[in-house]
Amino acid sequence: MKPSGPIDTFQPIADRPAPVQTVGPVAWMRENLFSGIGNSLVTLGIIAFLVYYIPPILDWAFFSANWSGTTEDACVKDGACWVFINAWSYQFFYGTYPLEEVWRINLMLVLLLIVIAMSFTLPKHYRMKASIAAWLALPLVGMAILYGGWGGLEVVSTDLWGGFTLNVFMAAASIIVAFPFSFLWALGRRSQMPFIRSVSVIFIEFFRGVPVLSLFFMGSVMLPLFFAEGTNVDKLIRVWLVLIFFMSGYMAEVFRGGFAAVPSGQYEAADSVGLSYWQKILLIILPQVIKISMPNILATFVMLFKNTTFLLIIGIPEVVQTLQTALANSYWLGGHALEGYLFVFLVFWASCFGMSVLSRRIERTLNTDKRD
Amino acid sequence: MAKKALFTATTLATALVASATTVQAATLDDVKARGTLTCGVSTGLAGFSEKDANGNWSGLDVDVCRAVAAAVLGGADKVQYKPLTAKERFTALASGEIDMLSRNTTWTHTRDTSLGINFAGTNYYDGASFMIMKDLGVSSATELDGANACIQAGTSTELAIADYFRENGMSYKAVTFDTSDQTRQGFESGRCDFLTSDGSQLAALRIGLANPGNAIILPEVISKEPLGPVVRQGDDQWFNIVKWSLNAMIEAEEQGVTSMNAGDMMKNGNPANKRLLGAEGELGANLGLDAEWAYRIVTQVGNYAESFERNVGMGSPLKLERGLNASWRDGGILYAPAMR
Amino acid sequence: MFKQKTIEEAKASARRSSGNSSAAFYNNPNVRAIFYQILLVFGLGYFFYSIISNVLANMEATGIKTGFSFLGASAGYDVLMTLISFESTDTYGKIFIVGFLNTLLVSAIGIVFATILGFIFGVAAFSQNLLIRKAALVYVEIFRNIPLLLQVFFWYFAVLSALPGARQSLSLGEAIFLNVRGLYLPKMVGSDLFWVAEAALGLAIVGIFVLRRWAKTRQDETGQQFPVLNTSIAMVIGLPLLALIVTGFPFTMEYPALKGFNYFGGITVIPELMALAIALSVYTGAFIAEAVRAGVQAIPHGQTEAARSIGLKEKKIMQLIIVPQAMRVIVPLLNSEYQSLVKNSTLAAAIGYPDLFNVFVGTALNQTGQAIETIFMTIIVYFVVNMVISFLMNRFNNAVALVSR
Repeated sequence: MKPSGPIDTFQPIADRPAPVQTVGPVAWMRENLFSGIGNSLVTLGIIAFLVYYIPPILDWAFFSANWSGTTEDACVKDGACWVFINAWSYQFFYGTYPLEEVWRINLMLVLLLIVIAMSFTLPKHYRMKASIAAWLALPLVGMAILYGGWGGLEVVSTDLWGGFTLNVFMAAASIIVAFPFSFLWALGRRSQMPFIRSVSVIFIEFFRGVPVLSLFFMGSVMLPLFFAEGTNVDKLIRVWLVLIFFMSGYMAEVFRGGFAAVPSGQYEAADSVGLSYWQKILLIILPQVIKISMPNILATFVMLFKNTTFLLIIGIPEVVQTLQTALANSYWLGGHALEGYLFVFLVFWASCFGMSVLSRRIERTLNTDKRD
Repeated sequence: MAKKALFTATTLATALVASATTVQAATLDDVKARGTLTCGVSTGLAGFSEKDANGNWSGLDVDVCRAVAAAVLGGADKVQYKPLTAKERFTALASGEIDMLSRNTTWTHTRDTSLGINFAGTNYYDGASFMIMKDLGVSSATELDGANACIQAGTSTELAIADYFRENGMSYKAVTFDTSDQTRQGFESGRCDFLTSDGSQLAALRIGLANPGNAIILPEVISKEPLGPVVRQGDDQWFNIVKWSLNAMIEAEEQGVTSMNAGDMMKNGNPANKRLLGAEGELGANLGLDAEWAYRIVTQVGNYAESFERNVGMGSPLKLERGLNASWRDGGILYAPAMR
Repeated sequence: MFKQKTIEEAKASARRSSGNSSAAFYNNPNVRAIFYQILLVFGLGYFFYSIISNVLANMEATGIKTGFSFLGASAGYDVLMTLISFESTDTYGKIFIVGFLNTLLVSAIGIVFATILGFIFGVAAFSQNLLIRKAALVYVEIFRNIPLLLQVFFWYFAVLSALPGARQSLSLGEAIFLNVRGLYLPKMVGSDLFWVAEAALGLAIVGIFVLRRWAKTRQDETGQQFPVLNTSIAMVIGLPLLALIVTGFPFTMEYPALKGFNYFGGITVIPELMALAIALSVYTGAFIAEAVRAGVQAIPHGQTEAARSIGLKEKKIMQLIIVPQAMRVIVPLLNSEYQSLVKNSTLAAAIGYPDLFNVFVGTALNQTGQAIETIFMTIIVYFVVNMVISFLMNRFNNAVALVSR
């Protein structure tokens, strides 16, 4: 058969646009918001909830709020009295630390940030050693700078420390000092020596099994009786001590998980090249354990950081305690609890959320490392 | 370098641990050597010990600390305040963490005899009472059968109210709160029908209400709550100093000596004035202090009346009446033993 | 694996060194192990000795009373909520029990609701609906990252305090009342034949276990499935109902009623309990949701695809394939979350719920001044409760763990 006409060159028809049901905003909404009756109802419910509640909240917090002034009399409008936060903001952050010495707190915050940055950015071949040394030195340097009493620095006694920075420093100082101890406890728990193992198990389980609040009470009312007669340890130091114990129990379990996650070939290889026990642990295993445990260490830190608010119950002037002191002041008796707590809510939420985002990012980096 | 750091650290640690070492015998010597008085106060109690936005402490209890510091160290500001919770106050005193406690502590037999402490007098005579919303139409505490009570935890009020209701054959439910601000919020939200606390605190709590006019304080006073400064047992000299520092404030009011006229009185006053202010007699030396100890108290802190007016009286937001706390000459029971 | 090897190594090297006279005895790992442990024994012994002698010396010096005799003394104060009858003249020992029961109650409620919330929001993270997914995310990220103490304050002082006063209560059919003083529920008061209904309920529960076993055997043998869940529900409701009808409803309802200041009668759920239970559930629920999400995510997608390819329905895939596997990841996490919930229940002190910590380390310590006794008694209780939870969850974990072949 011959073709009856001239052969047409192939002429593609222009692509038809995809049906409206599958692309574009409508499809997206169908897919994500209104797929099915149940889903649609839920969607409408959530939207109605937001529309109903958000405007009055915005109005209270922003549009009819009182922003300027220094005393309670400045709060004349119906909305939030942010003047209260403003007037007390110094104490909320720094406690009653003297104003002319406050650079010391800021310096410590900067040092903390520098050390954090160091542990991620230093050249790889000495990053681990340098940053571990820097971390361990940090609490000592911090005590020296904040407490003073040397090199012309005025002594600022610990009962003047307070506010949000106290929460940060207590949490950071406890976890850092607990670090080497928890490492030893974790090793102890893996040890073959029966007595050492059982002591480690008892220690770890005790500090993980009892409420942190009861530990704080121990620090505040029981520890003074433990010291030799006439010796008197500062309350903040006692609580710090208790927090270090508490944290070493928790961190020991984190490290135990880390030790278990290091492939046994690493231990065997270290043994086979003739490293001693401590060489093996410190040079081969520890760096890997720290890396593997990083997300868990951060999670533990977040937990500890949130738990520092419990210090309120034993009267340490951390941020919530400072807030309650402010609420009890006879010139601010008008009931600004809502503004105060909201402020503390936001500060804590922002810091903890930031850390959990950071921890997830680290986790992701670690995962890619493994894939190489 | 590392060694030096270690050395600094050790010194620092020793300083922190031993900064207030050995409180055993001579508290006075320790305080003088340290140059500051450590005084346990409340974490925040309107009119008695409160911190302002700049971190300065003030209040009736705080003034006792200031008076002792003025007498012993020569400056009312040489005080290091340790805010304490109700639970830890006695341990803090026993362990030597503080030199004295001035934290509206009720003087009770049990505390005085079983906790190893001494009460150095009374700086405020208080009594537990009731605050109630007007619209409930209650005019006497005897009509409160079956009601809910808002109480602040860890106070002796908890025991007083249990006794009072049992004695009158009534029942109640105690809702306890941790701080006075929370107690007020609980009362205001209607969690309980009445709020019970020391009378002075009721006044402060009432001001904090959104509408103070809605609440009334019932006339009944159901307990005796003499509040006063406390010291450790076993250091009689220090006990005397605290006791007489407080008495000096009370005596100054009785004699009409104020922070304004003290200088004049010392020169031109009657013999009693001169004895008090150190121009005559041995009062200071007997305490182990210098002659002008009371003069400094009066000029730097004021007499009791001045302290009262400034912190809880008409010059303060609390606007408390003197009542029982007026001098015995004015119908109160405030009475300093003879200063001679 | 690794552990066993090093034990063998240690033994081998011990043999080597003891056989080899050139190695010094102090290089023998066995000798060293004994030496280290003896050192530890002495160290610990000295540590505890010095603490105990310090405590005794300090107590004597300050004149603080010691011993447990205070447990027999009359407490003299009242407790807001008691599960057993309690008078203010009862002893500190009884207060201890009252507090302990209250702690168990709030912990149990918290654990149940935290688990429910956690599983709902954990699974919601995989919903088709974008808003639900986002809502689950917002829930987890908000409540996980705010200190529990602040959340307890929030529920108590901001939410529950906003309820109407006692005289303007919200009510449901004049039987259930809700106001700022709490939730008031009617109570069933049984008369003499009421035990029949109770027995029927017990019978129904036993029956369910029998039924489950029978249904499983039948399915194993014949492949036929039996609607166990529906039958069980019918049994639990039906049998007691039948018993009540037969015995002629031998009970009266006690309704709460406003008398004077308060509602009396019925069951009262105090707002402190509600606030604490809500806060604990919501907070722990956020962590459990995260655990559930991680557990479900850990299941390879191939499992779902394989299940689909053999024709299972989506619901069955979740129920039979995904959840049982995810449980292996979830259960160990649940264990630690439950334990922290129990420990966190001590925050009752912040709002005045009379849990063990609050009535004992709080008020009792304050009245007696005996710090060491009260704190230790309390700590031991929490420790034991957590051990029990850990034991039960480990049993459960073994049940869901992968049976290695």
